[in-house]
Amino acid sequence: MSLSQRKSFSVFPAIQFIIIIALTFVLSVNSFAQEATDDTTSVTSVIIAPPTNLLVEDFEYDDGEKLNLIWTPSIDDQPQVGKVTGYQVFRVTNDDVTTKIAELMPGANNFTDQELDKDSTYSYYVTAIANGAEASSVTTSPISPQREWVNFGLTNLFVIALIIGGAIFYFIEMGKRGKKLFVRKIAGLEAVDDAIGRATEMGRPILYIPGIHDMDDVQTLASLTILGRVAEQIADYDIKIRMPVARSLVMTAARETIKASYQAAGRPDAYSDDMVSYITDEQFGYVAAVDGIMVREKPATVFLLGAFFAESLILAETGNHVGAIQIAGTARPAQLPFFIAACDFTLIGEELFAASAYLSNEPKALGALKGQDVGKIIAAAAIIAGVLLETVIQLTDSESAATLLGYLRQAFTT
Amino acid sequence: MDHFGIWLAAFLTLGIYSFLYRDNAWYKLSESIFIGISAGYWVVILFWDNFYAKFWLQRQDDPMLWVGAALGFLMLLRLIPKIGWIARWPLAFIDGATAGLWGMNFLASNIMVQTKATIMPLMGPAFSGSIGDLLSNLVLVGGTFCGLIYFFFSKEHKGAFGNAARVGIWTIMITFGAMFGYTVMSRMSLLIGRIDFLFRDWLGLLK
Amino acid sequence: MNRRMIEMSILAVITILSIIAYLGKINGWHNGYTFSTGLSITLIILLAASVIFILVLTIKGKLIGRRIVFLYIGIAITLPLFMDISQEIVVSNDVKAVYADLEGLPAGSKILVSFDYDPASAPELQPMAEAFIGECFKRDFKLIMMGLWPMGPQQANMAVDTIMNRMGLTDQDIIYGEDWVNLGFQTGDVFVIQRMGGSFESMFHTDINGRPYQDIPLVKNIKNFSNIDYSFNLSAGFPGTVEWVQVGVDRYGLKLSCGNTAVQAPTVYPYLKAGQLSGLIGGMNDGAAFEKLTQLEGKATKFMLSQSFSHLIIIAFIFIGNVAYFRTGRKSALKK
Repeated sequence: MSLSQRKSFSVFPAIQFIIIIALTFVLSVNSFAQEATDDTTSVTSVIIAPPTNLLVEDFEYDDGEKLNLIWTPSIDDQPQVGKVTGYQVFRVTNDDVTTKIAELMPGANNFTDQELDKDSTYSYYVTAIANGAEASSVTTSPISPQREWVNFGLTNLFVIALIIGGAIFYFIEMGKRGKKLFVRKIAGLEAVDDAIGRATEMGRPILYIPGIHDMDDVQTLASLTILGRVAEQIADYDIKIRMPVARSLVMTAARETIKASYQAAGRPDAYSDDMVSYITDEQFGYVAAVDGIMVREKPATVFLLGAFFAESLILAETGNHVGAIQIAGTARPAQLPFFIAACDFTLIGEELFAASAYLSNEPKALGALKGQDVGKIIAAAAIIAGVLLETVIQLTDSESAATLLGYLRQAFTT
Repeated sequence: MDHFGIWLAAFLTLGIYSFLYRDNAWYKLSESIFIGISAGYWVVILFWDNFYAKFWLQRQDDPMLWVGAALGFLMLLRLIPKIGWIARWPLAFIDGATAGLWGMNFLASNIMVQTKATIMPLMGPAFSGSIGDLLSNLVLVGGTFCGLIYFFFSKEHKGAFGNAARVGIWTIMITFGAMFGYTVMSRMSLLIGRIDFLFRDWLGLLK
Repeated sequence: MNRRMIEMSILAVITILSIIAYLGKINGWHNGYTFSTGLSITLIILLAASVIFILVLTIKGKLIGRRIVFLYIGIAITLPLFMDISQEIVVSNDVKAVYADLEGLPAGSKILVSFDYDPASAPELQPMAEAFIGECFKRDFKLIMMGLWPMGPQQANMAVDTIMNRMGLTDQDIIYGEDWVNLGFQTGDVFVIQRMGGSFESMFHTDINGRPYQDIPLVKNIKNFSNIDYSFNLSAGFPGTVEWVQVGVDRYGLKLSCGNTAVQAPTVYPYLKAGQLSGLIGGMNDGAAFEKLTQLEGKATKFMLSQSFSHLIIIAFIFIGNVAYFRTGRKSALKK
């Protein structure tokens, strides 16, 4: 297993960008609307008035299988004294087959017909129902649903994704060309060396917990990148590492990572598959086992890096109780308070990914981090500009500020 | 059978709680039973809900399922060390697809909508809010902005930028404090649930 | 007597007492106990006095062990379960919003309820589930239940049974397949929500009992989220409310409110503030508040006193812990 294979776990941002673009295009769009040509109505009952103004439009930005119906409810459909008990929607296909497609509540004024064929035409009429009476709207002229290839409704999302994605690619490219990508110091990282040194001095094992999520969680990937670096040092110092995991895929990936690190450190003979063991997928079953390991093996250092949930405090508290130095990190905000309270160093949120990028020193990971900083600049700028504009509008009633703010809000509407 | 079930549940609950006193044989037994059963449970769930229900039952209706099955099979090639590297392909597929889906979801829900929601007036004659609202808006806007600065990795935290980052981390820490409180509440609820089980369902001492 | 002997003796006494209590339960020797008000107040005073005593000890530099803290938490939770003291329950605006949503829906509305939790979080979420389902049955809403967690749908069935018993409803009043349906569990986490945006049936070919989707009157005409009037998510983590917001709400325009464990509540607050969620029932106290609004008082209301007591004890020990911290320095603040 070579180092380059280990690196494949951090190709994530590139794939993410490609898929963002692909998804944005593929989730289709563009629209045509066709109005019903007539709003006169045919009354089949004298007791209640029919719904009027029935309008059928193509559903915007779909792949040609939906039509939108809108109508004005019957004038006898009133909240208090209404006689109408509901509506029925009927579809007439081009071979003259009429089907009741929906029964709706009083007050209903729209419906979306789905799973249609874009090569057929459809007409509709809506019937208001009362006790023993009914009244139908006029039947609309035939219309086909249209397929749209691009969802222009998501243009702003696309532009922002493009800017952030573009920035990521730009920084990756810069990194590849040998430009040094600056990333600020991350406090928790400096503690890693000390923590490993401590285990060496004490002659006790290091426990590495990669969270309880699978390989499809970017936190697990970041954790394994950090594991690669930690394992190299562990191999150098000849300390025992113990890594219980909750997912079988993580087990195999972790074994490969550690094996590659031991090879890189020139100690392939010292590697053993037993270093990583699968426990169970069940959250608290896993916790019970790891707690047991902590109490029985008394590790000198515990790494808790990855995706953690309710188990975070139980693990961190037990680690603290057995006197281990603990370095933790997760992007789950709800679990960070416990790590901060019970661990010696904590990588907060994105610091986990930053640490992973910093340690791997790969242009891809560092470029992704820098690219995301561009995203933060956009968000921060939008917040400041928006708040200023809002306040200016409040103070001066400025119309131009209101227009600008409208654009800004629109840009962030999905 | 009912009697056995409820006694077993109580035995295991108390066994796990005995860890609070210290690690002991009772805890180890409860732990092992728990791990064994849960591992088995997951195997059964994954087999019947994934392989059987999603693939086997529908294998004739949807040809795409065979693509998934093939990728799943490739995953098993890890068992053969010589060609184990092939297992990276399905893994790459999972990573790529998930990254794409999550990327869009997060960009839309957590970045765009949240940024838009943070845009609010701080003051003004038409501003209907009270002093409390003004403070609350200031904290929200200032906290979000400084929090973003804390997580900005391209610049060293020095000078005014460093001060803003410090405000950011303080905001984050205060948030964590509130979260801690919430979690304590949650944990207590779970404990109440277990104690209610012991005293009501098991021993019948509660009315 | 050495320590092991003492431990074994205590264990033996607890076992014998448990057997006696259990025999009492099954033979009807006792019916459960409730403390009188006088006894309750005496116990509370004794408990408070002992905490003050611990504080004095700590100020004097004598530290207590962590087991004492565990013991106090246990007592603070157990005793109130026996007390017949009612507690004022404050209803937050976020809980009122959920109730107001239900009030605004016409009878016959179709509501999707996803049970994304398992027995581990049931003490917090089950009371919310019961009250929500009960209120929906009262208002003649149609419930479509499902779960993204394997054990979620079982929790759903249990909640329906419990609330129907409590409300005195029978299978004739609330008909399975017409008034409610349980579509069961589906693996795939967020992808399930994504696919449901296209078609429910593609993810749930049958209900939990194996009845084909097309044979169930309630759902056979439901294609996807556009046929759903309202949705409610009971969530204890991943996948849960966050995923429902990101895909169901932001992509498919679902109207969603949620019941969350208190641990998760702060994570979903930003969505509430931004309007992506219309209401939130967070933790047991909000659960009790929702029970109050729906007048379906259940376990959340019953447990609130224990919850409040445990919080008071925790606040007291945080104070004592801080005294110990300043008295002795960080490392030895709690005897190991």
